Amino acid sequence: MSTLTVGVLALQGAFIEHVLFLRQAIAELNSELSANIIEVRTAKQLETCNALVIPGGESTVMSLIAERTDMLEPLRQFVQDPAKPVWGTCAGLIFIGSKVVNGRKDQKLLNAMDIEVTRNAFGRQLDSKIVSLDFSSFIPGLTSFPATFIRAPVVSEVGENVEILSKLEDSGFVVAVKQGNKLGTSFHPELSESNAFHKYFLEQYVLKTYST
Amino acid sequence: MSQENKSDFKVKVGLAQMLKGGVIMDVSNPEQAKIAEEAGACAVMALERIPAEMRASGRVCRMSDPEMIKSIMDTVTIPVMAKVRIGHIVEAQVIEALKIDYIDESEVLTNADNQHHIDKTKYAVPFVCGAKNIGEALRRIAEGAAMIRTKGEAGTGDISEAVKHINEIQSQIRSIKNDYNNASSDQERRLVLGKAAAAHSVDVDLLKTTVELGRLPVVNFGAGGVATPADAALLMQLGCDGVFVGSGIFKSENPLKLAKAIVGATTHYSDPVEVLKYSTGLGELMPGVIVNPRN
Repeated sequence: MSTLTVGVLALQGAFIEHVLFLRQAIAELNSELSANIIEVRTAKQLETCNALVIPGGESTVMSLIAERTDMLEPLRQFVQDPAKPVWGTCAGLIFIGSKVVNGRKDQKLLNAMDIEVTRNAFGRQLDSKIVSLDFSSFIPGLTSFPATFIRAPVVSEVGENVEILSKLEDSGFVVAVKQGNKLGTSFHPELSESNAFHKYFLEQYVLKTYST
Repeated sequence: MSQENKSDFKVKVGLAQMLKGGVIMDVSNPEQAKIAEEAGACAVMALERIPAEMRASGRVCRMSDPEMIKSIMDTVTIPVMAKVRIGHIVEAQVIEALKIDYIDESEVLTNADNQHHIDKTKYAVPFVCGAKNIGEALRRIAEGAAMIRTKGEAGTGDISEAVKHINEIQSQIRSIKNDYNNASSDQERRLVLGKAAAAHSVDVDLLKTTVELGRLPVVNFGAGGVATPADAALLMQLGCDGVFVGSGIFKSENPLKLAKAIVGATTHYSDPVEVLKYSTGLGELMPGVIVNPRN
């Protein structure tokens, strides 16, 4: 039995929530592969990881801290490596994209997915909300999942190789995308009561990549 | 009711969760807001006069001019917070109408109501409130606060009160949790919770949640007297989820450099080599006022 290491970027934001859900999900999956879940603040910690989750927080803050602590290049190399599964939620989705609308001029991106992301697309905090969405087209049985949008971004352009996983009915906003073993969601599965999304990422991205 | 989802407590707490590990900075004008954003603040608190100036003024301190707050909201892309007087339900309505991201019902301003705090469940905008102990914290949460900060002693640059308040909250939770875990029956556990809830004048179910979690059930930032990167790292090591910095930054010689350093020290709070780096060569810091001078 081999052990993988899944990192959660811990520069700023809601990283503990992801760590706890990933630990719970890996324990419940009963796979022959096991995984250590660690917080990542340095390039050295990143080197030990087989996969990475970039959490919600403030995307501009993450970008600034990464740049100042010489994490930007190591992160770019990691997330652009086709062998490495990566999942970005909310601010993390912006960070792994290739273009940002409504961001800061000096905001740096990691360019792991061929997507343009529009920041604060719904508006301010008063426009934050929980919407029940049907994800059963890619997560069997998940017909109703409470997707939490907090000052959330949306995917406004996708490249050829990007698969649109979920779109909001009313606005047509793209809120979940996939490109190879990279996953992006504009909402926060880590704020829900269910670890279904974390299981999906571990099974379909991490374990799939490393069991073959 | 379509409003129901929007005012959902989870969404209010959710934004605070996104601010964790970050620094929220007091700013008085768009220029300061820009500096804060450039430094890596995860949010800014818009207020006319920073606490150090309010303390010195000796005047009644009210909510800030909405025009000033709006100018800051238009300048930065990070969340913007603003303060209202304790119990002033109309100031809160006005600031909500402005579409602010978070309201701070703050003891730094002059109280509008000496008996009651605002019923924060009536608002769609989330609230943060100050607390010195578990009683204040859980009462504010019961009133609908989605985030707590230690009160500390704003405007002093003296960290001792903020340290006292986070330690008080932590040790009270530990002590009740200890009694709860040592209880030998359900009846005894109920008794432990009931006694503690009565002693601190808090809701027993909220106390139970807190004891089971071993921490406050919402995000808890340190605040009131942070003036250096080491102060910020200290509050983080004591268990705060992030820090507010008020007067410290813009009362120093080099605000941008200090603001960046406080952000860095908050991220790497447990790494002394990093905190050393951020503590070095900051120039003249806020002189400060000692809260409890020893003779």
